[in-house]
Amino acid sequence: MRFLRLGNLGMRGVAGTGLTPHNVIAYASAVGTYLNGGRIAVGMDTRISSKMFRNAAVSGLLGCGAEVIDAGICPAPMLHHLVRRGELDGAILIGAGHHQAGWNAVAPLSSRGSYFSNLQTQELLGIYHSGIYRTVPWNAVGKIKPCPQGLVGSYLDLLCSLVDAEKIASRRFKVIADFCNGSGSTIAEAFAKRFGVEMVPINNILSGVLPHDPEPRPRTAMQVQSLIKVLNADIGFVFNSDMSRASVVTDSGETLSEEYSFPIVADHVLQRAGKGAGVVSNCCTTRTLDDIVRMRGGVLYKGKVGQAHTIDKMFETGSVLAGDGSGSIALARGVPGFDSFLLMALVLESMAFSGESSSQIAARLPRYYIIKRAVPCSSSHAYSILRSLRGRLFPDAEFSEEDGLRFDWEDGWVHLRASMTEPIVRMIVEWKGREKAEEHAAKVYSIIERVVAS
Amino acid sequence: MKGTFRRLKIGVSGVRGVVGESLSPVLVADFAAAFGEFVGGGRVLVGRDTRSSGEMYENAVAAGLLSVGIQPVLTGILPTPSLQVAVRETSASGAIAITASHNGNEWNALKFIGADGLFLNQIANDELLDIYNQPDSNYVPENRIRTEKLMYDAFRIHQEKILRSVDTDAIRKKHFRVAVDCCNGVGALYSRKFLEAFGCEVISIFDTCGNGFERPPEPVPANLGALSECVKKHGCAVGFAQDPDGDRISLVSGSGAIPGVQNSAALIAGHLIRNNRSGTVVLNIQTTTAIEQIAGKYGVKVLYCPVGEVNVTDAMNASGAFLGIEGSSGGIIYPKISMCRDSYAAMAVVLEMLAQRGMTIDSMLETLPCLSSVSAKVLCPSAQAGVNALREIRSRYQERNPIVVDGVRIDMGGGAWVLLRRSNTEPVIRILAESSEEATAERLARSFEKELQGLLKK
Repeated sequence: MRFLRLGNLGMRGVAGTGLTPHNVIAYASAVGTYLNGGRIAVGMDTRISSKMFRNAAVSGLLGCGAEVIDAGICPAPMLHHLVRRGELDGAILIGAGHHQAGWNAVAPLSSRGSYFSNLQTQELLGIYHSGIYRTVPWNAVGKIKPCPQGLVGSYLDLLCSLVDAEKIASRRFKVIADFCNGSGSTIAEAFAKRFGVEMVPINNILSGVLPHDPEPRPRTAMQVQSLIKVLNADIGFVFNSDMSRASVVTDSGETLSEEYSFPIVADHVLQRAGKGAGVVSNCCTTRTLDDIVRMRGGVLYKGKVGQAHTIDKMFETGSVLAGDGSGSIALARGVPGFDSFLLMALVLESMAFSGESSSQIAARLPRYYIIKRAVPCSSSHAYSILRSLRGRLFPDAEFSEEDGLRFDWEDGWVHLRASMTEPIVRMIVEWKGREKAEEHAAKVYSIIERVVAS
Repeated sequence: MKGTFRRLKIGVSGVRGVVGESLSPVLVADFAAAFGEFVGGGRVLVGRDTRSSGEMYENAVAAGLLSVGIQPVLTGILPTPSLQVAVRETSASGAIAITASHNGNEWNALKFIGADGLFLNQIANDELLDIYNQPDSNYVPENRIRTEKLMYDAFRIHQEKILRSVDTDAIRKKHFRVAVDCCNGVGALYSRKFLEAFGCEVISIFDTCGNGFERPPEPVPANLGALSECVKKHGCAVGFAQDPDGDRISLVSGSGAIPGVQNSAALIAGHLIRNNRSGTVVLNIQTTTAIEQIAGKYGVKVLYCPVGEVNVTDAMNASGAFLGIEGSSGGIIYPKISMCRDSYAAMAVVLEMLAQRGMTIDSMLETLPCLSSVSAKVLCPSAQAGVNALREIRSRYQERNPIVVDGVRIDMGGGAWVLLRRSNTEPVIRILAESSEEATAERLARSFEKELQGLLKK
């Protein structure tokens, strides 16, 4: 088990065991060095350790001579927005997002407002590992400045420029939103008011205590599901603690897989974007998306797993939409990062325009059966084990190794990827039909298990 | 004097270093975590002076304390003595003062305060360092991390204690006009209101903060010209000079005379000794004998102790002293108010002295034993060379029964004495000579300077 991870999503780890103020100050100093001082926002989610790491990051940045814009508790999409709106040099986002309790992460955003690209991460880590950071004399130590006024308003203005708020308001939707006691609830009320929805927020206490597993999944959507019929709501959403992922619960009470959030949005966005519009996804997102993009005449680009890669590819390919199967989406004209408020607005807009209920939209989706499992495997060997499978496994499948191993057949696919944080190989199997999916999953699992054991 | 090994000083007075060089935020967070482990739990107060680097280190300290399960209570910009008082009054586990006291802008430091409101002594400090020196810390898991708190009224607790402890009514009746030089330090936030609470009309200088110190921060005569002018111009009864964190004090008389820290301390001590007329005072070894002479007159016992606030307070606790003086730094420790060097307690005592005795500072200065002191310093190639040289001096003057509580203090007869002592802050041996005749003091200082140089050359 690794307790500290450095990579494209910043520095992540278990608070105390891996992620410590010592490491975070050093990391923030590297960020301050990379951005050459400048003006850098610091935002955080509500996790218990977030304030501690926020203090550490602020101290490191001030020591590099950076001016710190204190965004306080701030949903991730709003921090992406703040960097661009304030013309800042970058930001540090502190928050565990979908990670379980006890974890946290410190992630840098570039002056574009997005996560660091691969290239930027490499340069940043070069500085971090050198241990030589920018320092300034006493009279150039940075100062802390408050967040500019009207940030929430301008963020909602941006959303309203992308989504028809009046049309949504005309339907007077009743929405149940589970914020996982995260940062999203800070602007839930303002969102509801702007889009004219009647919102019933749950788990909206800024306690940092997780009410359930923070990954939006069918099994974490049970609280919303139990309320949706009682309250006669039109739709429910389950968010992670920094508003980068979401899953949907329909008015009929179906807890949709987080995999379907992106296809639902893509279906709606592509109808309006016209033929040939680009969509970016990664190599382990449901085939439902492939089908929908094809159906709507769009062009699908698949890249490596991770928000940084996906957003980067959206800009690189001039696509209109990006997202992945964890329940994340971003629009090229929106904030340069995954945005669950935008996801919520787009899904509501889709219902408003089509006149369909959420369960009708869900019923239209081409469905596959997806199975995600973890195969225990000592982390140090995960890479080499996967490498050894190359060419030996499934010679009849179409093969890609852009990120992990992906095998494609006519009506299903398998993806294998070594986890960076846990001693496991992540296996995803998706097939048309539950029986086929389970059959293939069992087969692949036993093969990997055997290889790992040998 | 370049070289990083001299730019970071980890010792009995805390951790001191240069901003942007040796005192990195990482080091500060690690020390705060070590201190959190040292106190073992509960709340730790965090105060700072007005230095521009203070906010950076405050964030690092808070993070370090949180990481080991301590609840940090941030008091913001606060005099060090107020922080020490607040620790006791709020039953906190300890405190960290972020201040380099009298050192220049480029410095900052952490000073560690125990649950008793005193700085850590040598033994406690060794334990803290032992925790810090270990490569890993006992970080707590997330569910044991506590929430940070803010405390806005720490100075009020201190001020109310002082108002209760001196003859406030007598002072208020006098409506003194006083000047205060805040040194662009913590006094800029508190001193005017504090003195006004005693019914004073207050003229303040260097009373802004945020842009560094506009005068050198040590309250020594060379740095107090502006205060002297101000006192004369406005016809003030007294001028008070503070240092950046409000622990040290020096006075200026109504005529604008600058008597220096030793004589200022002697004036204040004289008043309290006269009022007390029994008991014990503790003086650090670098304190003028004027105080010993006054104490002798009123039957008050004198104990000498090593330099350093915690050494004085330890000796005071052991002896039940009613007063402690660090003459060399302008430190007045008056336990009736606070067991620490406290410029606010000292200012209140001076006002009480003026109110009760009905004399001017100038006329009181005339009654002080007239002593001159001369200081000098000799460069030391290494710490050990300094130790060896002082041992040699001690054996050479054995027949004069030198006092060796800290360095070597030799009685030269006729009330004259010389102190040779290794500096805690610089690689030098400091020489201090005092005598009733300036020429004698000068001669003594020079002759020991030469003798030491000879020894260190070997």
